[in-house]
Amino acid sequence: MAPRKNTAAIATYGDHEVIVPENKLRGAILVKTEGELDDPVARAEQALAGLSGHFDAWMDTECERLDKARQDVTAQGFVKATKDALFHAAHDIKGQAATFGYPAMAAAADSLCRLIEFTPMVERIPLKLVDQHVDAVRAIYREYARSDAEDLARLLTRRLREVTDEFLLRENESRPDVLEQIRGPSLVPE
Amino acid sequence: MVRIDFNRLRFLVVDDNAHMRRIVRTLLHGFGAREVYEAEDGAAGLESFTHYLPDIIITDWAMPIFDGLELTQMIRQPGANANPYVAIIMLTGHSEKRRVMLARDAGVTEFLAKPISAKGLYQRIVNIVVNPRPFIRTKTYFGPDRRRNVNANYIGPERRKGAKADVIRQAPLLDKARIPGG
Repeated sequence: MAPRKNTAAIATYGDHEVIVPENKLRGAILVKTEGELDDPVARAEQALAGLSGHFDAWMDTECERLDKARQDVTAQGFVKATKDALFHAAHDIKGQAATFGYPAMAAAADSLCRLIEFTPMVERIPLKLVDQHVDAVRAIYREYARSDAEDLARLLTRRLREVTDEFLLRENESRPDVLEQIRGPSLVPE
Repeated sequence: MVRIDFNRLRFLVVDDNAHMRRIVRTLLHGFGAREVYEAEDGAAGLESFTHYLPDIIITDWAMPIFDGLELTQMIRQPGANANPYVAIIMLTGHSEKRRVMLARDAGVTEFLAKPISAKGLYQRIVNIVVNPRPFIRTKTYFGPDRRRNVNANYIGPERRKGAKADVIRQAPLLDKARIPGG
């Protein structure tokens, strides 16, 4: 594909430049009257609902991937490849749980991500704590049809998070910047 | 009222998770987009960026080979590629303050935390198209202006030297855009 030429207005100041690139996307702006307005968000939500028949199978695959990553950690210990695989598997479940219809799984997966991300020497992570996280994620998924599933997930996750935070605070005693991150709230709005 | 003609926009979705790529593609097609390309890691994303010249890149953060942050840093190299100004949306499960700051300082245009929603994605795209920000180049940064708002209560030192170092105002076209459910 032939590149379209970039043009930009540049103003130079003391220690910086302000560059106003040509707005090549301007052509995509449509001005419509009230009567012509449709609802692209509703259309997209409807399209996503059309995919929902796959979500259970997709979450099943993600849980199997997490379990496989846990088995590799157990067999080979925490090396870069096994650590990354376990983190990515947990991280993907955290990001996709709500979309797939399993929002209560996200917090347990998030707790595992925090455990891996904030431990300075991952080989010090007790494998039992990893097992408890992975088993919790899978159990929440397996029991999701129960009427009290979300309450159970909340209880389980709260306990996991307490144990994890206790471990992380101890492991990061000498790293005040990390302690701040562990305790800090998210900046991103819902 | 302003609407976006998604049919005139070319998207590149970079994510190592096939399920997530399918979801983003489905949402974009639902908005009306036709040109949606996919790449499964940062390296393939960079190659696809060079090949397809997308208008908007939607990238995950955590990926093998090199991640979404590194991909952004590689694209934000003036003179090194066809469009260092391309809009980049970081779509990620990371939502900690430190991560948001890192993404901003690497030059991402918009940040969208998972779980993804049609409304959230739509709003980011509308903002990119209707209310583009100028770029700032300093010794250590090249990317969209990181100052989105004027803070009347700011009392610290002015970090940009020279005239007009305040927020660069853009035509507030966004005010005319009615975002469904927004």
